[in-house]
Amino acid sequence: MSDFESELDQELHRVLDPVAATPVPARRAVHSRTAAKTIAGGAGAALGLKLLTAVAVAAAAVTVAGAATTGSLNPIEWGQQVKQQVETCKSQLADGQHGIGDCVSGFASQHGASVASDARHHGDTNPHGNNGANGGANSGGHGKERTRDKASIPKAG
Amino acid sequence: MQSIEGPAARDEAAGDESARETYEPGSEADFERLYRNTYHRILGTLITLVRDRATAEDCTQETFERAYRNWASWRPDAPVEAWLHRIAINVAISDRRHQKLREAGEMVRRLGRPALPPDPSTISERSELVRAMKKLPTKQAAALVLRHYHGYSNREIAAALGVPEQTIASRLAAARKQLQAVLGR
Repeated sequence: MSDFESELDQELHRVLDPVAATPVPARRAVHSRTAAKTIAGGAGAALGLKLLTAVAVAAAAVTVAGAATTGSLNPIEWGQQVKQQVETCKSQLADGQHGIGDCVSGFASQHGASVASDARHHGDTNPHGNNGANGGANSGGHGKERTRDKASIPKAG
Repeated sequence: MQSIEGPAARDEAAGDESARETYEPGSEADFERLYRNTYHRILGTLITLVRDRATAEDCTQETFERAYRNWASWRPDAPVEAWLHRIAINVAISDRRHQKLREAGEMVRRLGRPALPPDPSTISERSELVRAMKKLPTKQAAALVLRHYHGYSNREIAAALGVPEQTIASRLAAARKQLQAVLGR
């Protein structure tokens, strides 16, 4: 070994040996970067946000469509209203008169038309959105027309 | 299971019990023990490779983080400390690259301003030799510290770094020549 090499040995030990006297610090914790990125950031977050948005939009669409169909945001409430209207129509029947279709249809078309209008504003492109909504009781714009026509025809018996 | 070989012989002669340590790949307890036993030696290497003590400590932690991620796949057919040194040298090379970018940014920011005084806490640990080593290419400086501080043979350094033994001899010769020129020996 040359003098210079010996000098290298001595100088490195002089400088670095005191390092060994220092305490060993706690080891830095290793974080699972990939998992964190998947959950909190990057493409995973973007995909998650898109998925969440899609679910929210779908839920809103179902709500609007449901409202257009039932005439109420609450289908149970609308069902009760129809039931009540049926009872009312029955009680209004004159002696010898049969059928409450026209009566119930009129009620249905009033509610259905207003909600269908809202639904169209929300992008519902189905022009027959209210058809069949009330068990085939002629609702919506079509139902209204037919109701008028029927009303003009005298009932037999 | 594996025992440290090569440079560990020097530690063993010095009464270092850690020289006989064996490690099980993937074992959490063994990795913690490895960390305790080799921390200072890895830090010592990195002090000669990166710009200051704080960076060396940070790079040492980074080295053990990388080692920990690959601990389960570490193969005990090679000395574990050589494996750690290989990781440490890669960390130092990476840090030097980033340092060059940081220095370029700093230079732009400091244009026209007086230079900051050196940090007194780091002056004492900067010998003329170590300062000169930091200016060497990282792989040359690493070969020097492994050879002259840790006591590896050229063959052991070559095995640790995955290069031919002749390459290590060339790096050492080039490093010594440059140091002699810089230090005026």
